Amino acid sequence: MKGIPTVLITVSPEVSAQMRPPRALYPKGFKIGNSLGRPNMRDLQKKVLRNALRLLTENTRPGDFVTIEYPEYGEQYEPPRVKKSSA
Amino acid sequence: MTISRKCVPFTPFDRELSKSTIAIVTAGGVHLKDQEPFNIADELGDLTYREIPPDVDSSQLRVTHHHYDHTDADRDINVVFPIDVLRDLEAEGFIGGIAKKHIGYMGYTMQLKAMYEGTAREIANDIDKGSRADVVVLTGG
Repeated sequence: MKGIPTVLITVSPEVSAQMRPPRALYPKGFKIGNSLGRPNMRDLQKKVLRNALRLLTENTRPGDFVTIEYPEYGEQYEPPRVKKSSA
Repeated sequence: MTISRKCVPFTPFDRELSKSTIAIVTAGGVHLKDQEPFNIADELGDLTYREIPPDVDSSQLRVTHHHYDHTDADRDINVVFPIDVLRDLEAEGFIGGIAKKHIGYMGYTMQLKAMYEGTAREIANDIDKGSRADVVVLTGG
């Protein structure tokens, strides 16, 4: 099996980081269930997908998460956090 | 699950986006309405996945997933499964095309090892052999 390049769009960057995706975009403040933005905001959805795909051609460091802000999204949400182990 | 905390698996991309074919793999519980829904009654989760064809009418897609609020995806599936968005990017020449196969699965499981070593590999093989994808876009819920 050959490898296929991937890019992840995540609204839970801390949670996703546990799986070490090679390339990841975090659209800042998007809530869970809104990976590409809100319903029927096609221009925003296109912008997010273009930004995600561009991570393939940019020299991103494997494992980096790129955070981009999209003011047109409107109200922002806090992403879920990973509980730190106390051990 | 024993995975290295240091190693990041990375496949370089050496093509142009405008000549590349894109597949979507989503953990958002997306499937065709006439496909069997994911089993949300099983507390361990559902390890199966659904193949979604490239010419799908997005109004025929549904979400079965009980671990996120998919009200918005019910109104516009593109918020987790951007198939119409890909079509727009293809029309404007930003990407070369849409892959022959896309995948939906329910990204909630208590069977992490089976998901990681079983389902994930099956999906990767399926995409590799059957989709002609140059790139995979991954989304969660």
